[in-house]
Amino acid sequence: MAEILQYVPGNGIFHRLHPVTKILFIILVSVVTIITTSIAVLIGILLLLFLLAFAGHLLRPVIQQMVLILLMSIVIYLITILTISEGTVIGYLVPSFVPVIGGSIPVTVGALTVGTVLTLRFAILISAFQLFVISTQPRDLVHTMERARIPAEYTLMFVIALRFIPTLQIEGKRIHEAQLARGYHPGDGFIGRIRSVAPVMVPLVSNSLSRATILGLTIDLRGYRSRARTRLRERTLGIADKVAIPLMGIAGAAFAYGFLTFSLG
Amino acid sequence: MITLETVSYAYPRTDREAVAGISLSLKGGECILVSGHSGSGKTTLCLAAAGILEHEYGGKKSGRVTVDGKDVREYRDLSDISSRVGILFDDPDSQLLFTTVEEEILSALERRGFSPEEVEERLARVLVVTGLTGLKDRPPHALSGGQKQRVVLATTLALSTDILILDEPTSELDEEGTGSIVRLLSDLKAQGKAILLVEQNYSKMAGLVDRIIIMENGRIRTEGPPGTVLQDEVARRTLIPDFTGIRNGMRGGNGNSPIIRTEALSFSYGEGEALSGIDLSIVPGEFVAIVGENGSGKTTLVKHFIGLLRPGKGTVMVDGKDAATAPIAKLAHSVGLVFQNPDHMFFADSVFEEVAFGVDNLGIPDREKAVMDALAAVRLTAARELYPRWLSRGERQRLAIACVLAMQPPVLVLDEPTTGLDGAESREIIGILKQLQENGHTIIIVTHSREIADRCADRVIRMEAGKIISDARMEALHG
Repeated sequence: MAEILQYVPGNGIFHRLHPVTKILFIILVSVVTIITTSIAVLIGILLLLFLLAFAGHLLRPVIQQMVLILLMSIVIYLITILTISEGTVIGYLVPSFVPVIGGSIPVTVGALTVGTVLTLRFAILISAFQLFVISTQPRDLVHTMERARIPAEYTLMFVIALRFIPTLQIEGKRIHEAQLARGYHPGDGFIGRIRSVAPVMVPLVSNSLSRATILGLTIDLRGYRSRARTRLRERTLGIADKVAIPLMGIAGAAFAYGFLTFSLG
Repeated sequence: MITLETVSYAYPRTDREAVAGISLSLKGGECILVSGHSGSGKTTLCLAAAGILEHEYGGKKSGRVTVDGKDVREYRDLSDISSRVGILFDDPDSQLLFTTVEEEILSALERRGFSPEEVEERLARVLVVTGLTGLKDRPPHALSGGQKQRVVLATTLALSTDILILDEPTSELDEEGTGSIVRLLSDLKAQGKAILLVEQNYSKMAGLVDRIIIMENGRIRTEGPPGTVLQDEVARRTLIPDFTGIRNGMRGGNGNSPIIRTEALSFSYGEGEALSGIDLSIVPGEFVAIVGENGSGKTTLVKHFIGLLRPGKGTVMVDGKDAATAPIAKLAHSVGLVFQNPDHMFFADSVFEEVAFGVDNLGIPDREKAVMDALAAVRLTAARELYPRWLSRGERQRLAIACVLAMQPPVLVLDEPTTGLDGAESREIIGILKQLQENGHTIIIVTHSREIADRCADRVIRMEAGKIISDARMEALHG
């Protein structure tokens, strides 16, 4: 089973960077991605991320995640086609040979462009965040969030969410098996699918909620809400960070210059 | 070190007292074992003794609890109490917050005002004591149930508190794992620690226990040293499952053709073989126990009987169907599989509807009768309108059996059907299964309890590292 957003042990370039450097990187990439509407720039950033993932031995999980993004892009294109009608019409969602409703819902260049920009933005933001999470030891994450004075509750919420993703995947699989053994068959059609969710989702959610009490008690018993932490095994900025931070500064400045002068956006 | 004076407590929004009039005192170097039916108040007693009810729960409270001579109300908060009392709850998954074993244990040590050196030293020590050194970088989802229990125990022991409250610390461990925990607890007791232990199976803990408390409906039913308590008939049956007379002399008809047959069955999850070269045949009417340590391949084997796993190599024939290709829904007519954790299946609003789910899926005629017959077989007729998740653990286990039984399969497979149940409840489950055998069902149970296997099954198949290492018919007179 593919593990979603789990730390991948390793010693690639991402692993060697300090979490703060990586957070700066995410901020830079996010700002540029959100400001620009140039498809070329977006593709460039995405390729850069792939290149960095490859260099950091993390390309596989990033590519795996792309399947999800492709699925999401279908929804994005549908929404943009249904809502944007600017630009040249290049076809129709319902082919014209279909009787009565044929030729309805025009597909325009404007809609496709917006759809592509949105898809690329999602792909970049998700990949950048994923690279950060899978290359950072959760304890370094916690320390960094603490340093940033984020309250312990939020930090724990984030870490516990990460920790429970694979557990829920496994539990979902077990529940699914238990229901299959009772002759459960996922229904046909849209309504069938919706209805067939209950036998798996209800036990999954109920079991998770029933854990909340003990989880909360455990947090309190370990002193998370009331005590200061012994500082130990903290990371410091290394050579890679000292190179990466100025590099990102230069890249950010270059983008700002390009954006303002040549309206790269 | 802990005293309770007439402690009573009712959870919010109910008048029913979960514990009532409990008084006890736990001294240093002493181990008290608490047992009783599921839902009898054992866990609530632990919460009370740890001061957790006082600090974190609403509801009606009375009586007084002291820890180390100080009223629990005088402690600042739970973290203050936890520097005196180590507490382990029964569900290990809810107590693992972090993504590796090492981080989990560190999280218990980091907020205690220790120096970095002391944290590292305690971490190293507790990893060794609990045998987790080799697993320190593992994420929780890559651990077995028993390993998770060891990690949670390690976080509890890391602070070296003088008082330990442990709610079923070995329920998911096999015999070997349990043995190592019992030795560890014996050492701690010898060092003068006080241990309050909830445990269903007395035999596993016999050498450790100084006093026994049997709970019933929130009250202490029996209390005293093991020698005295075991004199009491009811208490003894709670502590030690009594399977006398459970054998019904039924044997699978030897001449019959097998209802399940595997030939050279091998299976791999990717790395190493989980099953290798399994040849097995089970005839109708047999009561078979499959035993073995955690990870020996028991569950992997039985999942092949209903098509949840398909053979890597070899064949599996079930009731004349090829289990390598037949759809699961079709195999479910022949084999009913009851999973270890009943909570993995309940989603309906009533017991009746829960059981009807499988009946409807398979299109069994006369829905009402099929459901009610199954509920009668597990003695839950009166519960038909109740919400499944409100039942006690023992009742939920029986409901899980009814859910599968109502689908009327000739073969019933049960994975660890007595987990979390006391002796009397275990006996009841096995009794129900024996009755089903008499009615013509073939019963296969997967268990790590040697006692149940040897004393109840007609045939015991022992597995180790994916292989069958012995297959023995038990003598009727043995039981």
